[in-house]
Amino acid sequence: MMNAHKKNKQMDSILTEGNGEIIHDDILANELREAHGPKGAPQGDPIMQVRDLHVSFATEAGVCRAVRGVNFDLWRGRTLGIVGESGSGKSVTALSLIGLLDDNAKVEGSIRMNGVELIGRSDEEMSTIRGENIAMVFQDPLSALTPMFTIGDQIAESLLTHHPDMPKDKVHDRCVELLGLVGIPQPEERLKSFPHEFSGGMRQRVMIAIAIANEPDVIIADEPTTALDVTIQAQILEVLAKAQKETGAAVVLITHDLGVVAGAADDILVMYAGRPVERASIDDLFEKPSMPYTMGLLGAVPKPHVAANQRLVPIQGNPPSLVDIPSGCPFSPRCPLATPECSLEEPNLEPVDDSQGHLASCRRLKEIVDKDLKYTDVFPIPDAVRPQWAEMPRDQRPVTLDVEHLVKHFPLKGGGMFRRTVGKVAAVDDVTFSIRQGETLALVGESGSGKSTTLMEIMNLMKPEAGRITVLGHDLAEIKNRAERKELRKDLQIIFQDPMSSLDPRMPIYDVLAEPLRAQHWNKDDINHRVGELMELVGLNPDYVDRFPSQFSGGQRQRISIARALATDPKVLLLDEPIASLDVSIQAGVINLLEDLQAKLKISYLFVAHDLAVIRHISDRVAVMYLGQVVELGETQEVFTHPRHPYTKALLSAIPVPDPKIERTRSRIILSGDMPSPAENFAGCRFASRCPIKPTLSEEQRKMCESKRPVLTGDELNDTQFACHFPLDVDEAAF
Amino acid sequence: MTENNTVSNDSSTTAESGGEVKHLSYGTLIARRFFRQKSAVAGVVIFILLLLFALFGGKICKWSYDDPDFMSISEPPSAEHWLGTDPGGLDLFALISHGLGKSMLIGIITSVATMTIAALYGTAIAFFGGWIERVGMWILDMLLVIPSFLLVAMIVRAANAKAGWIWLIIGLTAFGWVGYARIIRTMALSLRERDYIKAARFMGVGSFKIILRHLVPNLASMIIINTVLGVVNAVASETALSYLGVGIKLPDTSLGLILQTGASTTQTAPWIVVFPSVALVLLTFSMQLIGDGLRDALDPNSAANGQVNA
Amino acid sequence: MLKFIAKRAANYVVMLYVAISFTYFMASAFMTPRSNYESRTPRPPQASIERTLDLANINDHTSVFVRYWHWLTNIVTKWDWGLSPSLESVNKALAPRILASTELVTLSTVLSIVLGVALGIYTAQRQYHWQDRLFSTLATFFLVIPSAVLALMIVLIAITVNDAAGFRIFYVTGLSSYSGDNLLLRFGDFLQHIILPTISLTLLGMVSYHLTQRTYLLDEMHADYVRTARSKGLTRKQAIRRHALRASLIPTGVNVAFSIASVFTGAVITESIFAINGLGRYFITAINNNDINASVAIAAFGGACTLVGALLADIFSAWLDPRIKMS
Repeated sequence: MMNAHKKNKQMDSILTEGNGEIIHDDILANELREAHGPKGAPQGDPIMQVRDLHVSFATEAGVCRAVRGVNFDLWRGRTLGIVGESGSGKSVTALSLIGLLDDNAKVEGSIRMNGVELIGRSDEEMSTIRGENIAMVFQDPLSALTPMFTIGDQIAESLLTHHPDMPKDKVHDRCVELLGLVGIPQPEERLKSFPHEFSGGMRQRVMIAIAIANEPDVIIADEPTTALDVTIQAQILEVLAKAQKETGAAVVLITHDLGVVAGAADDILVMYAGRPVERASIDDLFEKPSMPYTMGLLGAVPKPHVAANQRLVPIQGNPPSLVDIPSGCPFSPRCPLATPECSLEEPNLEPVDDSQGHLASCRRLKEIVDKDLKYTDVFPIPDAVRPQWAEMPRDQRPVTLDVEHLVKHFPLKGGGMFRRTVGKVAAVDDVTFSIRQGETLALVGESGSGKSTTLMEIMNLMKPEAGRITVLGHDLAEIKNRAERKELRKDLQIIFQDPMSSLDPRMPIYDVLAEPLRAQHWNKDDINHRVGELMELVGLNPDYVDRFPSQFSGGQRQRISIARALATDPKVLLLDEPIASLDVSIQAGVINLLEDLQAKLKISYLFVAHDLAVIRHISDRVAVMYLGQVVELGETQEVFTHPRHPYTKALLSAIPVPDPKIERTRSRIILSGDMPSPAENFAGCRFASRCPIKPTLSEEQRKMCESKRPVLTGDELNDTQFACHFPLDVDEAAF
Repeated sequence: MTENNTVSNDSSTTAESGGEVKHLSYGTLIARRFFRQKSAVAGVVIFILLLLFALFGGKICKWSYDDPDFMSISEPPSAEHWLGTDPGGLDLFALISHGLGKSMLIGIITSVATMTIAALYGTAIAFFGGWIERVGMWILDMLLVIPSFLLVAMIVRAANAKAGWIWLIIGLTAFGWVGYARIIRTMALSLRERDYIKAARFMGVGSFKIILRHLVPNLASMIIINTVLGVVNAVASETALSYLGVGIKLPDTSLGLILQTGASTTQTAPWIVVFPSVALVLLTFSMQLIGDGLRDALDPNSAANGQVNA
Repeated sequence: MLKFIAKRAANYVVMLYVAISFTYFMASAFMTPRSNYESRTPRPPQASIERTLDLANINDHTSVFVRYWHWLTNIVTKWDWGLSPSLESVNKALAPRILASTELVTLSTVLSIVLGVALGIYTAQRQYHWQDRLFSTLATFFLVIPSAVLALMIVLIAITVNDAAGFRIFYVTGLSSYSGDNLLLRFGDFLQHIILPTISLTLLGMVSYHLTQRTYLLDEMHADYVRTARSKGLTRKQAIRRHALRASLIPTGVNVAFSIASVFTGAVITESIFAINGLGRYFITAINNNDINASVAIAAFGGACTLVGALLADIFSAWLDPRIKMS
């Protein structure tokens, strides 16, 4: 260990003053019983102890109580998962551990590391342990590295801050070693690179390298994969696990994604409105969630590994504002089990099962445990609207949107005043799919795969560069004038990802909903009537029409966007990641709404998403895109169970499944490297550089991959189409 | 510190549960946020007092700004001449009242005209993009290369004394909008990429309507703030030009011109310089305070809106 | 790199050419040098007026395009910027004035940058404290005060100090009044003259550096990468100094480069009040004398300074910020 020659130029580490005394209380005793995880019960003394942590901020709106009474212990080598939605206080908890909260934060309670109290320490004192004993990996790797310094300098800084005497060559060697450890190829050369030359995934690897540089005892990872694509997420989670193994550190993994914790954590703390509401070993929590909120969360998440045979169960309402937390149990306004007594007093964590250290905070916990209530008992599954027309077989329904071999290039501009075109990027290169009435086709792919460009090409209603787009029987190449185009717009609408930016903040909702109608020259009375109708259709109170978008929550805003898109009664709706920016508990409600609307209105959906679990739940058919090309197209059920393209299989294998037992036994295909730049020229298969199948092929076959571009074809094994010379067999299971 | 929008925060949490929230109109909200700031209120009060002085100062004073009292030349303040007289025997109180009015008039008209041109030019080149934007930007850059101060001086110098103030406004406007147009273009550029603009386009709303209904209202706060702060610049330019003798000319008067008169007698009659200076500084300072206050009240990014991102 | 600069420079030269030509036509349209002679008493003979105007290439009876072509050829071939209505060479008149202006503005520019940036850094780190509030209020005051008012107030104060001291500490006009050979005395005399205009220009100039530097640093201080630096074990102050400060100096550097132009045209008022025979004052004389050629030459000089500044700004930011690629 390097601790032996630890020296800090400013002051000695504050940890040396401690006597290593551990608080032995009920909380610790309870945690020592948590054995239902991959590592069994914790052994030995905890490295960090958090007791009765409270954090509040003075804001203009009042005192924001972000964290209210958090307790936990961390052991070296173990991972604690803290799960919660936005506003649950999980990130504030993390930042308070490492002492990086803003100055206006008031922190109370106790955080001890090796028995030394950390709360109340000055910035200078905390800096002696930050990076040395406790390190952090942040959410957004794009902004977390200083753009002006090289990667090497930034890693070296974390070494030299705590070991100023370290000789130059040793620093260099350690940096190379660290970059190699986190899986960056050619570490020696990459030391001189600047952050902007790295992809998001690579930057997150660098962040992990910085975090483990001094072999800390505790690593805090705050939503480390949220900003990344699913195949990159799988890579980063693996690097994080490796980093933990290498350093033996305790890891705090903060996330909203139950799938991520299922595979990575030993113990789980579920937070709601700044308070822990349930805590258990990983298996206990997923097997018998006991607090209604946890049950709801697990029920609201679509499962990527099972067929969608029932509706999702949304949790009603929104999380409370932390400035104005309701009295009693903060979840009671949204809880189906709530009785008037629930709003009287806030319940504490109590044992669900004494012997397993499983705790939950609910006034009716005893009832839940005694009756062994499952989430289906607590949250009744809502009835689906049965579409009358669904009986009609698919091939008898008309095609509403047809895209054939669509191509779109973007010019690559040079610098300077007269930006000349120096090349071109194929953002979309051979996209083919068709949607029939009342059907949902999912377009799935990672960022940069050309999904959004495809949508924009359709929405522009212009003749495509190459290939053909047909909307409701109208070939876009044959549309002559603006009037025809405007006529068609009535039947084709779009919903965007971010409900913040898709509604004009200066327009009241009435005008937002009236805008498409005015563009189609409706008269005033009809508009008035239609606006009221639309509000009810998406489940909003029509009396709210004179409010501004900022007065609605994210989920409500997305409902308004949906209402606006439906205003002119379109036949085809394009949805660009419509739920990606919503909280888990809100997502289910919007998904159900979209399903109901389709059943009622017979609309076709083109649903663009990166979340495969959602896609499996909502879509009938799926088109998988890679680098601008549709590489697999078929029935959702078939594609998910029998992927034919190696990329589809890798993608499916990368999704974390919210079930710890499955997660542990699954073997994952981890794709190497990042998606290549679409500016490159590909003679053969675009996926060849990362394909896990290619190395198993013969020399001749490999040549074919590199020289011949595969096109979308099918075979006799199933109905799926794929763009691969050497497709997988149908008996290969995806999960 | 800036104030934030508590109303929207409260309502967003209660709206779903159906609880009715008192809905403040946007105007009320802005007014409330503006008047919560002491400095902004001070700015408004000073500005109103100056305005009253400019409007009615000439009426309560028994001397007129163009009516010299040859019995008192460069006299210090007295009961007869409240703020003293200048070397030509003109009453300073009357002069400053008239000059202040002229400076305000020039400042306000110039600023409004400047921002109107800048807003139209800036949003249009940003919205249409492509070669229109490239050519538009080149022209802006080119105009920035010419020292505009020199051209304004040239134009105003050529005008006759009576219409001088109109030519001053024309000159200041013709070369003052360039910088603002660049700022507005930058802001409009980020708006152009917003989903609601795209959504409007995909609904079939026309370009001109999108500019008027979405772009301009969303830039309104920024345009209003810059109009107020633009008055400060216009007044400063007017003062400078008049002081140099290439702006407002006798027999008309402005604060800059009074300063020029006083500059030669700073040693013997300092009051001729001091009083118009005070009026000028109060005018520009009050506009700055009002502008800063408006910025905090109108700019939604000026403070976190009370939500916690955990 | 060289290609990038060359491309930029070429564009700027085109811009400058268009701008100067535009100024030439504007000046020819609005200035009437003929009136200089026609209003003179006794009125000179018409033939002599025409001859003088023709010699100076400012006769409005000649087509403006012909005059423009003549003017342009002289500049391109002989670097001759023409004659004033009184037939003095613009080239000769311009040189000493540029020198005087440079003497005046160099010191104050350096001072405003150093003091302004330092103050910006200081106040940004004390946001919401009284120091920040105090300096921000002062800055707002100096931001809005018209330069003539400020300069006149400084003159008033200096006169009061001189009177109180009983002898002349500060000179309020000119750049020198000592004509002896003693270098030390000469330098002392220079200081006595330059100090007031320098204070005036510095106060006006440093305000914008203070306010912008403060904003830039505040923006960068809350950037994610500063938090990363702190998570490595740097204290807040170290993280700001090593990471945020450098990023925040890039836009300031660009501003400094751009300010080169305003340095010459911005000192007009100060030069007039302190009676310094620099470029600004020359410009006022030129305007009042209907001196077309001199006015255009001054505008050209200002424009060239702007573009040199812009070019320096381009190079500077590309050099400091690895994200800007020069291709």
